[in-house]
Parts: sequence; structure tokens; C-alpha cells
Amino acid sequence: MTSFRRGCLLLLAGLVLPALILPGFALTATADAAPSKPAEKHPSKEEGEYFEKRIRPILVKYCYECHAGDPKKAKSHFVLDTRDGLRKGGQSGAVIVPGNPEESPLIEAIRYEGLEMPPKEKLSDDLIDELVKWIEMGAPDPRVGKAANAKHKIDLNEARKFWAFQRPKAAHAPEVQDTTWPRSDIDRFIQAAREKEKLQPVADADRVPLIRRVTFDLTGLPPAPEEVDAFVNDNSANAFADVVDRLLASPRFGERWGRHWLDVVRYGESTGKERNIPYRYAWRYRNYVIDAFNEDKPYDRFVVEQLAGDLLQSRNAADRDRLLVATGLLAIGTKGVNTKEAEQFKYDVIDDQIDVTSRAFLGMTVACARCHDHKFDPIPTSDYYALAGIFHSTETFSGVKAGKKIASDKALLALDAKSKPAKENAKLAEAHAERQQEIAKIEAQIAELRQSQKNARKQARKKPNKGKTRPQVQPVGDMQNQKQTRDEIKKLEDRLEQLESAATPIGDFAMGVHEGSPGNSPVLNRGELKDKGPEVSRGVMSVIKTPAGNVNPKHSGRLELAHWIAAKDNPLTARVMVNRVWQHLFGQGLVASTDNFGALGDEPSHPELLDYLAVQFMNDDKWSVKKLIRSIVLSRTYQLSSEHQVDDHERDPANKYLWRMERRRLDAEEIRDALLAASGELDVARPEGSPVLELANAQLKGGKGLGEVRKASNIRSVYLPVVRGNVPEMLQVFDAADPSLIIGKRDVTTVPTQALYLLNSPFVMKQAEQLARRVLEPKGLAPEARIDTAYRLALGRLPSDRERSEITQYLNEYRKSLEEAGTKGNVSLAAWASFCQTLFASGEFRYVY
Amino acid sequence: MIQGLFNGMFSRREVLKSASCGFGFLALADLLSRASASDSGGNMLLAKAPHFTPRAKRVIFMFMGGAPSHVDTFDYKPQLAVDDGKEGGGKGKGRKLKRSPFKFTQHGQSGLWFPETLPNLAEHADELCLLNGMHTDLPAHGNATLMMHTGNFRFVRPSMGAWTLYGLGTDNTELPGFITLNGQGGGAQNYASAFLPAAYQGTPIQGTERNKSAVANIGNPKLSENLQRKQLDLLASLNRERLEKDKVNPGLEGVIESYELAFKMEGALPQIMDISGETEATQKAYGIGIKGTANFGRQCLLARRFAEAGVRFIEVGIGGWDQHRDLKAKLTTNCHSIDKPIAALLSDLKERGMLQDTLIVWGGEFGRTPGAQNSDGRDHNSTGFSMWMAGGGVKGGLRYGATDEHGVAAVEKRMHINDLHATMLYLLGLDHEKLTYQYSGRAIRLTDLGGVVAKEIVA
Repeated sequence: MTSFRRGCLLLLAGLVLPALILPGFALTATADAAPSKPAEKHPSKEEGEYFEKRIRPILVKYCYECHAGDPKKAKSHFVLDTRDGLRKGGQSGAVIVPGNPEESPLIEAIRYEGLEMPPKEKLSDDLIDELVKWIEMGAPDPRVGKAANAKHKIDLNEARKFWAFQRPKAAHAPEVQDTTWPRSDIDRFIQAAREKEKLQPVADADRVPLIRRVTFDLTGLPPAPEEVDAFVNDNSANAFADVVDRLLASPRFGERWGRHWLDVVRYGESTGKERNIPYRYAWRYRNYVIDAFNEDKPYDRFVVEQLAGDLLQSRNAADRDRLLVATGLLAIGTKGVNTKEAEQFKYDVIDDQIDVTSRAFLGMTVACARCHDHKFDPIPTSDYYALAGIFHSTETFSGVKAGKKIASDKALLALDAKSKPAKENAKLAEAHAERQQEIAKIEAQIAELRQSQKNARKQARKKPNKGKTRPQVQPVGDMQNQKQTRDEIKKLEDRLEQLESAATPIGDFAMGVHEGSPGNSPVLNRGELKDKGPEVSRGVMSVIKTPAGNVNPKHSGRLELAHWIAAKDNPLTARVMVNRVWQHLFGQGLVASTDNFGALGDEPSHPELLDYLAVQFMNDDKWSVKKLIRSIVLSRTYQLSSEHQVDDHERDPANKYLWRMERRRLDAEEIRDALLAASGELDVARPEGSPVLELANAQLKGGKGLGEVRKASNIRSVYLPVVRGNVPEMLQVFDAADPSLIIGKRDVTTVPTQALYLLNSPFVMKQAEQLARRVLEPKGLAPEARIDTAYRLALGRLPSDRERSEITQYLNEYRKSLEEAGTKGNVSLAAWASFCQTLFASGEFRYVY
Repeated sequence: MIQGLFNGMFSRREVLKSASCGFGFLALADLLSRASASDSGGNMLLAKAPHFTPRAKRVIFMFMGGAPSHVDTFDYKPQLAVDDGKEGGGKGKGRKLKRSPFKFTQHGQSGLWFPETLPNLAEHADELCLLNGMHTDLPAHGNATLMMHTGNFRFVRPSMGAWTLYGLGTDNTELPGFITLNGQGGGAQNYASAFLPAAYQGTPIQGTERNKSAVANIGNPKLSENLQRKQLDLLASLNRERLEKDKVNPGLEGVIESYELAFKMEGALPQIMDISGETEATQKAYGIGIKGTANFGRQCLLARRFAEAGVRFIEVGIGGWDQHRDLKAKLTTNCHSIDKPIAALLSDLKERGMLQDTLIVWGGEFGRTPGAQNSDGRDHNSTGFSMWMAGGGVKGGLRYGATDEHGVAAVEKRMHINDLHATMLYLLGLDHEKLTYQYSGRAIRLTDLGGVVAKEIVA
């Protein structure tokens, strides 16, 4: 698969080159430059840009394959990935004469006038012209020092100096000029940065938008009108803290924050990819995650359970089951089931496991090192295969196997504790029992036929024994018989597959992992199974040294990996999590690239604050996510209004320094749940299992057979089935996370399909009508009071006088047009429903302020 | 002032048409002071001047999901027939070359070779510019499909349709500027705008179904248009009041714009999607109403109607070209399903004088191996395959680029996907190196770092 290599080369080119032209990168600085000949002047900015834009891409694309890296190993000992190399030339001397293309052997070669380079195919005339022009210019080459692209040895000691690899330092909150403003240390950090940028914070938020904000942020639901009233009328000093504590204690909290985690770990209930087979038991992991957030499981423990729950001590059978379910993290990724070769399949699963482990917990893109040393971060390929060895020594139970078209309960983990069988289960069980009988019968038949095949072959071999020579042709009758047998077996096998793919009764199964046979993995050169390199001892990322990372050779090493990640010495774990939490509360992380803390990620906007929060999280708060969230939302910064301020906006339009609260578009789940909450139809009970349980163990063909999965329901969105490629329409329209990808930050789009959904979909219209009924229900209220109720239920606030009169007029006119048109039925309800729907469709409904 | 406009002499629709900068200009002062573009739609979609004189004004991209076998369609390989059964044909050892089961003949003045399975399209030989030297990065459907659509399979990048819209805007603000009728999978990323403003995102339309269900929720099951307009006016008014209060709120402006476009689409789309006004002869020519050609025929006819209406980028598509086995029968069916419809579209556009500025691009995500798989199939092959273009300023009757004698790998005038995209943009009057968008600290373009315009095919 050389094309794979090429892809990586392009990738590398795509990233390295522009990075080099960034002003922040010092590679063009003259200070480091060691020009070989002092006479030659340093290229001007324009010349440098010309090289970067025009020349370097050509060299990378067409020449590097043979002429980069160590000159001794390169073809003709000629490398052009460094300025020196290109100037020096190869075995036969210089290849360019700056200023004189006609004298330059390089030009001769690319014109195919002597040597023919590149050998595969002549460059296009355009490209040749570019190179000619460049040499005419004097071949300006801004590159300094060693090649950034060529194979280079990663210097771990040097790499450890990068901010993200140094342990967070406990910092004292800085001094601020305006000492009256901050309420907490968080505020002091933020205020100090603001003062430096000459920014003034806006006013504090009013209580009505504030409780709406915090209720959505913590539970994904709007506050009930009574909750708003209670808060507005609470004069105690702890009023807001009391609200926060109530929300943190609500079971709705885990449903909201569990969903954030599910985004990061690419939660989905089918294999995805070309052969999409349902994961009927993925939901157990989903519930585990939600419960973990609700019970405020310390984050370090949460990490260890998901990676190595099966290796932990358990208190009882139920606890053991929970721990097994936790390892579902490693099993729920997408799988290319039509990969026939088991070992290839295994390495692809391992790749997914390394990817999710490194990105979700560490914000590191370790999976980049599958084929070559990471180009930007200090992650050598050997690290990748050290981790691969750990997962190779692990057995993954996802219900599916390489090359198999159907899933099987046998390929899942069996749980100990018996759960209550679902109602429909009796039906499923009955059908299953019948099928089992038939399966047994067919298996016996196949065995019998196979035996007769064998006998026939033996017979055929015996017959000619007398003459000692085997007949060239078998007797025709035998051949016909054998074909018949083969056909029969094929038919039976097809039937078997059909029977086995039917939905099995809901059982005590889970997705997850347990220990396999411990062993190291070789490096696979360029990721190719056929090209095995030296074996690497199992281990963790070598740039981060903590005592926990040493693998016991008798184990897979998963437990050690988990402890290494969850160690306080690991500089990334707490920072990455703290940053995720911050992003969900402020719309933007302190490190904007939440899933990438590497060299290509963003630098922290408030590095000391990030460290402060990380240290606080690990030490004082003992990895409690709830305490972390509590301390952030109780800061004055979180409680700022979202109002606009011209001066600040001019200085800091992106609101990097938090001079105000950023408005936030509700997530897809929140929009749907808020519709149901307003209409009074929301069913907050956790459903038993998932509708995916009702699906067959076979490949999904498009949307066929998804009836159960698509059935409308009023449960919370987090419990809706997430079949890959079939995410519920409502969620998809509003940018729900793609269940195949690791998503730390969702997109926010605004497109007409959303407008059409809110205007015309039966679901929204139904909720609007329900809200209308709810509003019209109390007897003896003036229309204005009903409008108020609708506003409070949908938007959490009272309407302005202008809005109230506008809507009163609207209702009258709407009713009148319906009556004039002779519309039958409840005209008043229709008018109110139309108004209620308008509230749902309004921009304000989908934003928290 | 806006309030006055609405209560007074103009209908809402008229105002929207004339003031297509949208309600956003309430906050005009702020808009002007803002350096970066907001995430809303509106004036971003107005037609923009290209970088240089364009050959084509719009694109119809025909995506053949599953990867058609080039040696059985547009890359005639006589040597493959000669060496039938010999070892070779790509994808490791042990594969045996397999001749095409189809007869090829020459057509038109140009004498381009066509298989017997495409008799109608063959009549347009002199319009077609065959790109026989195509190659791409990976032989895996998902990745290669992304590569074809976005120029990159590793990172989330905008679709070429989104780039086109970003570069040129659209002539019809009542319709999305980028429509994909290609409902056959591949995922939203293939028509998404990624980091480009959402206004440039493709709108998926179910081309195979009847009018109303063509776009999800395009019509209201209960409300009359009149009532819905009342509702929309109330909605617009509430949103405007909120925007006044917020002063600057690009998100809310985006919401307002999205309703404008949604409402316009409700009016315009069903009309365009309703093909009952087309003559029986036209429908028949496209193969509509005939099993086997109805699906793609309808898509092609809709593509023409969208093109006429000023849609900038239209994707149509049909899948099922992944013949690992049963090549002869299945490929025959595939070819049949597109043969008449494409031929009809070419004639139709030509008659209307639109072929000259409509660029048609046909192709799958990669090609197939000349070596046999499962005796009667062919495997994936990214090292060489074929696409073709027609209209929009490309030379007709040309065979550009070539694979080796058996069709394994592109060897002559090789054209990578980046090159294809660069050429398409060039024909649209856009310089692929100048069409950039600042994202994550650098100027990103559709063609990544590659992209050489194949000037030889430009008429």
C-alpha cells in the first residue's frame, strides 16, 4: 500500500509547510542560521515566501522519496530537504548554479535532457518553469539547520520542555488592580489578564437569564418557571450556590455531562463503516457513563475503570459487572467488519483503541505514529507499538468478528448479575428457542454431509489403488453427487446464517475487554502487517515518565497504562479534563483545541489558570468533576452578562479574555429536550436498554428494519439510539456529534434545514400544540396571562409589553383568517399552537444568554 | 425604518429580495466595524467576480459511488484482451489479467472508444474529454470519496461545492447555491462547508422521490402558505427585536437568514422539483418512467432545471459500481442506468445553449484492477482510473492522460484529485491557489499543496 504512504507525505507537506511561514515559527530567523557561505545574503521575505509556496512543495512531492534524510542513505548521497544538502549536491557534485539555470544539472535532469528526474514521470512544464525561475532568482532558500521533514530522531529531553509535558504548577492567584471585582481565585486570574488587555468586564447577568444559563449548562434542560421564581425571590447570600447544588444533585446532571463524554469517546450503537452491524449492548456503557457523572466518580478512578475495569477488585457481582461494562470504551468504536484478515482487523481495532485513549484522556494524537514517527509531537513509532502491544494482549468483545456478516452474543462479555427480562423478551425468547432447535438440526445435517463428502473423497482415493495411479478424471456420477452435496451444504449454511442473524433474546451481555495472552507487538513498518520490524516492549508514551508506566511482563499492561494516565504525575490528564469542563461552560476551552494539546494545538489563553484548576482538581478536590464545575460556575466570571460592549468588542472580538459571557447555541439534545420540557411531554425516566436491542444481529441495509429505532418517543435525547449513519433527524439537523468521530467540540451551524425542521416537522408542531393546550388549560385567565405562561415555559422569561401586544394582535388575526377560511375544529387552539411554535422557532429559544 | 417597510408598501418577499443583505443591516454600524465574516448567510451568497474570465458558470458533478471499472468503460485497453489470463493486473501477486467482457467501438469524428454498454453516450463522443490518467491516494471507498469531494481524507475540509460557492456566490438567492441530489451515502462531510461559513454548505435533496418529500420538511402539513407567512412575519419581528437588544449577534442574524432562505426554498423548490411540465418526449429521452433509468434520469433532468435556475454546483449520483464479482451483468445494468439520462442531458443543455458554460464532470472515487477478482470481478484500484468532463470550456473528443498497457496505473499526464479540482476551479475562473480561507492559523485551499491545472484540455 504505497498509496497510504503518499497520503501521509501529503499530510506532512500540508502541515509542515504553512507552519513554517507562520510568523510564530522561528525557523526563518537569522539568529539560528549558519549559512555555509557567508557571502550569500539571506533571502528576502518575498523570496522566502516564493520558496515556501512554489518550490518546497515540488521538492516534497516529487523528490523527497529518494532524496531526503540522511545523505549517506539517500540516492546518490544527494538530499534536498536541507539548504545545505541542496547547495552541496550529491556524489557528482553541485546540482544547482544559483542564477544560472542553464548551467544547473538539476534543470537538465528535470527536463529529461540527461538524467531523468523524477524517474517515474517528467514534471509538468509549469513546475519546470517554476524551478527555472527560482534558480534564475539565485535559488533563494530560507531553510536553516536540519530538515524538519526528513527522518529525525525525536529528542525526548528537549521535547519535555514543551509546556504541556511539564507538570502543572500550583500558582497563587495574581494581584489585580480592581480588588473589588473578583469573587474567587478564578476571577483573579481572569481579571488580571483582562487588566493587561485593558478590558472592562460587563455587568453581572440578571437572575432570570442566569438561572436559565446554569440550568441548561448543568442539566441540559430549561429551569421550570417555579425554579426561576424561587431564585429571583431568594434574597439569601447563598441563593445561587443553592441553585447550583440542587442542579449538581439532580440525576439530569449526569445525563448532560455524560453526553459530553460520549461525544469524546465516539459512542455509537453499531459498527458503522461499510458493513453496519448493530451493537445491541452498547447502551450499558452509555448508562455507566451517565451514572459515573451522577455519582461523581473521581475522574482518576473513571479513567482506570474504562481502561482496565476488568482488572480491578470488585465488591460483589453487580460491582464486577459495572467494571466490565466500563471497559466498553475500548469496544464501541467503529469497525471495518469486512476486513477478512483477523490480524489486520485486530490492528485496526487497536488503532481505534490507541486513538480514543490518547485523545480522550491526554489530548494527544498518538495514532499519527502508526506509520512513522509523529511529525510534530515527540511520539516515536515505537511508542505507538508499545501501546499496541498492550492492546494486542487484550481481547476485545464487541459482538462482531473479522469478515463475519453477523454479530453473535458469543462474541460479547457475559455478565454475572441477572437483570430483569424485558417485556418483549418473552416473545424474542420463544422465537429464539425455536430457532435454536432448527439451528441444531441444520448443524447436524451439515456435519453429516461433510462426513459423507470426506468419505467420498477417501473412496475416490482408494479406488485406483490397484493400478497405483490416480485417475485423471473422476467418474462423472461421483462428480455430480459431490456438486449436489456442496450445493446442499451451501443452502443449509445460508439458512443457518439467516437464523443466527435474527435478534436474540435480551441477555446479560456487555461490550468490553478482558486480558488476552500477554505479548509484545513488532513495529509494523509504514503500518503494514506484512512488513514487520523489531519488537517493542509494551509500555506508555516515553515522553511522559511516571512510575506507574512500567509494564509487568506477565500482564497486558492495560492496568499500568490506566494508572499512568490517572497519575498525578501525568501532566496532561487533569489539564485535558479541566479544559473540557471549561469549554462546556464558556463555549471555548482555555486551550481552544480541546483534543490536541500537542505542538499543533493551541496554546492556553490563561496558562496559570489552567494549571491552577488542574492542581485544584487533582489535590484539593480529589478529582471530583462536580466540585470543579461548582467552583467554576460560582465564579463571578461565569455569572457575567452576555451583553455587548463596543470598546471591549473592538479589542477582543473573540472574547478570549472573557470580558463577558459568550452566548451559547443549545446542543441538539438540549433543543429537543427543551421542546419536550416546554410542552410538558418530556419523559425523564431512563428507558430500559435501547431500541437497538430489538434489531437483528445482521448488517443494516440503509434505513431498512430500523422501525424500532426510529419510533418517536419523548425520552431524553441522550437515550435515543445512536445507530451510526442513522442518527435521529432532529439531532443531526442541529449538529449532534458524529458518532464515528472523537468530538471534543461540536460544530454550530445555522442552515435552512434547521428552519424547515422547526417550521414544518410533525414533532415540533406536536410539541407546539401541547404547549398551547398547557397554556390554555387553566380556567379564567386573560390572554395576556397565557402569553406570559407560554413565554416562561419556552424562553424562561416574561414578554415585553411590545411583544405581548404584538402577539395578542397576531392571535386575533390568525383566528380571524382561520374563521374566514371556514376552518373546522378548534380555531383558538390552532392559533395558540402557531404562536407557541413561533417561540420554539425563535432565535432566542436556541440560545442561552 | 425597516419596520416601516414591512408595514407599508412592500411585501415581505419583495423586501427580502431587494434587501438580500437581510435584517442584519439593522446593526449596520457594527457589521461594518467587524473585521471577520459572521457565520450567517445573506449577502455572502451574492454572486462574486471570479479571478479571471471563466469558461464555465456552473458545475454538474456526476458521482458514481463504488468506483466504476475504467477498463470496461472509458479506458479501452486492447492489450488487456491480448494478455487475458496472464499474471498481473495490480494488487499483489497471483492475480490474473481479465479482459473486458464488453466490445469496444470507435465513435464520432474523434474516434473515441466506447463499450457496447453506452450506446447513447457514445453518440456524444466529440463532446467528451476523457481523463484517462486519474489517480488518487487510497483504494478505500470512504476515504477516497471524501478525497474526491473535499480534496482531503484525513481532515475535515469543505466540499468542492462549498469552495465553489465561496468563490463565486450564486445567481439565485431563492435556492441553495449548492445542491446535492446524490442520496447514496458517503456522509454529510462530502457536501459540508466544514470551516467555511455555513451558508456555503450543500443542501441535500432526495432527487428520486416526488415533489414534497424531496427536502425534509419542505412543506407544512397543516398550514396554508398564507398562514405560514403570518407566522414567519411574527417570527421575524420577534427575532428582530431580540437582535436590537443584543446589538451584535451573528448567530441570531444567521437564524434570521436561515428562515428567509427556508421560506424562499419552500416557494421555489417544489416548482423546480415538479417535472410534470416537461414534455413527454423530454421525460422519455431522459429515461424517466422506465425502470432502470428512471432514477438517474430524474436526477439529470432536475440537474438541468437547477442549472437553468442559477444553482452554482449540482451533484447527482448513483451508487453500486463496486463490482468485486458479477462484473458483466452488474456493470451492464449500471451503464444502462446512466447511458440514456446523460446523453439526454448533454443534448438538452446543448439545445438550450447551456452546455458551453456548464461543466459536467463524471467519475467515481477510484477505479478497478485489470486483474480479476473472484474470477468475474475486479478489485479496488487507486493507482489509475478514468473520469470525464464535458461542456464548460473543455475540449471535446479528447483522450487526455493514459494508464499503462493494461490499465493498472496512470502513467501519462497523470491527474491527481488535487489536479482535477484545480482544473475545475480554473474552468470556473478561479485560481486554486488564491481561493483560500484562513483557518487554524493558515490559508487553506481545496487543493492542499498540490494542484496543477490541466491546461491542455481547456478549449
